[in-house]
Amino acid sequence: MSTASTVSDLVSQPYKYGFVSDIETEKIDKGLSEDVVRLISAKKNEPAFLLEFRLRAFRQWLKMEEPDWSTVSHPVIDYQSIIYYASPKQRDKKASLDEVDPKLLETFDKLGIPLSEQKRLSNVAVDAVFDSVSIATTYREKLAEHGVVFCSISEAVKDHPELIERYLGSVVPANDNYFTALNSAVFSDGSFVFIPKGVECPMELSTYFRINSEDTGQFERTLIVAEEGASVSYLEGCTAPMFDTNQLHAAVVELVTLDDATIKYSTVQNWYAGDENGKGGIYNFVTKRGQCRGDRSKISWTQVETGSAITWKYPSCVLLGADSVGEFYSVALTNNRQQADTGTKMIHVGPRSRSTIVSKGISAGHSSNSYRGLVQIGPKAVGAKNYSQCDSMLIGDQAAANTYPYIRSQQPDASVEHEASTCRISADQLFYLQSRGIGFEAAVSMMVSGFCRDVFNQLPMEFAAEADKLLALKLEGSVG
Amino acid sequence: MVSASTSTTSSAQPMAANAWITEFLERLPAPSGDLEAVQWRGREALARQPLPSRRNEDWRFTDLGSLKALDPALLAQVEATEGTDPAAIPIADSADALPAPAAGTMRLRLDGRHDPLAGQTLPAGLTRLSGEELQQALGHTLARCGCEQHWPVEFNQASASHCLALRVSGSVAETLELVATASGESALLPIRVLLLLEEKASLKVLQVQLGSGSSLSSLVVEMHLGREAEVQHGLLAFGEGEACLLAHLAVEQEIESRFHSVVASRGWALARFEPRITQVEGAAHTDLKAIQVAQDHQLVDGHSRVEFLGPDGSLEQLHKAIVDGHGHSVFDGAVSVPRRAQRTNANQMSRNLLLSDQARIDTKPELEIVADDVRCTHGATVSRLQHDQLFYLQSRGIDAATASRLLKRGFCQEVLVDLPAAAASWQPLQRLLAEV
Repeated sequence: MSTASTVSDLVSQPYKYGFVSDIETEKIDKGLSEDVVRLISAKKNEPAFLLEFRLRAFRQWLKMEEPDWSTVSHPVIDYQSIIYYASPKQRDKKASLDEVDPKLLETFDKLGIPLSEQKRLSNVAVDAVFDSVSIATTYREKLAEHGVVFCSISEAVKDHPELIERYLGSVVPANDNYFTALNSAVFSDGSFVFIPKGVECPMELSTYFRINSEDTGQFERTLIVAEEGASVSYLEGCTAPMFDTNQLHAAVVELVTLDDATIKYSTVQNWYAGDENGKGGIYNFVTKRGQCRGDRSKISWTQVETGSAITWKYPSCVLLGADSVGEFYSVALTNNRQQADTGTKMIHVGPRSRSTIVSKGISAGHSSNSYRGLVQIGPKAVGAKNYSQCDSMLIGDQAAANTYPYIRSQQPDASVEHEASTCRISADQLFYLQSRGIGFEAAVSMMVSGFCRDVFNQLPMEFAAEADKLLALKLEGSVG
Repeated sequence: MVSASTSTTSSAQPMAANAWITEFLERLPAPSGDLEAVQWRGREALARQPLPSRRNEDWRFTDLGSLKALDPALLAQVEATEGTDPAAIPIADSADALPAPAAGTMRLRLDGRHDPLAGQTLPAGLTRLSGEELQQALGHTLARCGCEQHWPVEFNQASASHCLALRVSGSVAETLELVATASGESALLPIRVLLLLEEKASLKVLQVQLGSGSSLSSLVVEMHLGREAEVQHGLLAFGEGEACLLAHLAVEQEIESRFHSVVASRGWALARFEPRITQVEGAAHTDLKAIQVAQDHQLVDGHSRVEFLGPDGSLEQLHKAIVDGHGHSVFDGAVSVPRRAQRTNANQMSRNLLLSDQARIDTKPELEIVADDVRCTHGATVSRLQHDQLFYLQSRGIDAATASRLLKRGFCQEVLVDLPAAAASWQPLQRLLAEV
């Protein structure tokens, strides 16, 4: 067996989260209109300002066109055949987990996300979002003792409307792009985190997103605000069942850090990627952006992208504060017919702002994996520094790896450095490891793991192992 | 990312741009001569195709304001201009204050109107293409490089009435020097060159483009390198005032051919260089070096594309820019490695010196790779002169101003060393760095 074909066998693992949970779901009719936007808002009993926000976004959306500049290609999306709201038939968030539909809990257990707090050994608070609605948030009381707010966006709208009104759409305006306008019009749920001044969040926060129904789009919205001196580490994970049709996932994530605050945002994305012929899978069109508003504030994005038929996302940092720091660490693995066009934008506005970009792309099968990044140094960003590194690894000769790093500098006292390389699993390294008695599979796994090490090191302890396992899962199995 | 604001601001432009090109086309003299068919083709294409706008990704950073400021009616008088007596043109060097050609150099003056070969004896190895050969070969390499429909190419085709077309066989000892000077108010100088290198042929060619006043120089060069052929190409482009330059270089390389190119440019209100290289079966070597200097409100734009259509090809690319004042430098370097181009080795580096806080640099390397057994790297840096290097020199007793000059010289020399030797008489380094 040739090395190339064995390696490509290795990365072709079945998707194990592809089951559908049989849960009664309340859905509205397909299609999108102003009435649907009003209906979603009414179902969620939203205050007037939010309905107005949605309607403004919807009217903007009608005037916009789908972006066409990326390298991804897909059949035309019929926005009228998507269901914009679906929730498990169980109204009101339960006071205790005992009252939650056991089938739902079972679903999350199957996904390895135990929601019952007593079972949870590690010190992590979880918000679970099923289709359009947040199911449960754990450890809320403990967090509340520290003044930390961690709840679903819907609850936040009810309990903290002033915070929502102040921050929602302040980082990513509704008309930022086609998908943010769509999201702003129909977003259903998501997580809200607020860390007050001087508080270091006592535990990792985590949101788990699950799309269950076919034809449903998931449009969640995450908003994290860290006040002066606060810090938090946040992780999101996502899976979806296997369907032959494509589901649209158009999320918006907004982060805000004030003076000396830090947000670390980690994503392990494992949406269903479609079968080997590219049938089915999630279209993951996500806008993520953080604003370092305060001096010495820091936003760090870490992402491990292994799923989705199409990934289109650029977690970005707008470095407004002096000495603010932006980081982006990414591993993107594509296989079969997956397409990923992902990267970051670092917009340096404040003086002495610094950013680091480390991107590792692995393309196998017939997939296409593009890194697209922008580093922009504004005229006032005296002493700003950027370092970018993006490496690609190709497995098999049918996969494509593209890099499009844009650099724009208007400040002579800033330095920007960019490096990129492309390689494959080298036969001599493989041979060396095998000659030391390491099996082929373990050797490949080891090399991929080494290739991604710079990124995995950035993941929170609890999830670093998970991410490594996720890649290993895609790499383990069928060797001759 | 396309933001709402860019799309609204540019929506007003196409009208004005179209009026500009329409007027230009209306005033052009009727097509005639060797290139009549090509002129028709170019004009039809321009009539259909609006001026590139910044909504087009390839023109995103390139503001054509300086071009549109030229008077299309005057530009169109390309051939009607009262020329000097054709017989007197080609040999006259002395009166123009141009440096004397270096020894072993064959200098040709290109003015876009007259035959530069009239009254000249070509060195051994160079022959003029017959009319029939020209018809056959012209445009072939442009098509092969996928740029025959690009706006600057069509613009040249619409207006150029003459093409310097040469066949090269064997090793040509003399350096071919092609000098074109454009001056005057809204004067257009369209230059077209075609070089066909036979198997194992080799040639050194130095092009000098000088522009002043509010002239527009349009340059389209096609080169076909047969097996094992070698070209050492230099382009010195120095402008001043409102002068603009659109230069397009299409090169087709057969197996084991070697192409070295060095571009040095400074002083144009707007200059755009588009080298497009295609290694038709791979296994060739391409060396691209460029240094561009922009100051005042100048815009200089380097857009390269190298495509490997077979295995074992290699590329070494080094692109440098020095930007001062309100200058703006753009680099967009694409490298395409499809599946059949296994074992390609491509290295690209973009180094930029940003010397003023009003200046701007946009750099965008692009790698598109589908083959797995390749080595491709690219890198980019943007900064001012390095403090530690300045410090080192100063600690050796060299004053700050001299140290900074020394570093800038070194920055440029890395590119200029590979120019054909004949370039020395043009003093490229002095021209690049005078008063920067």
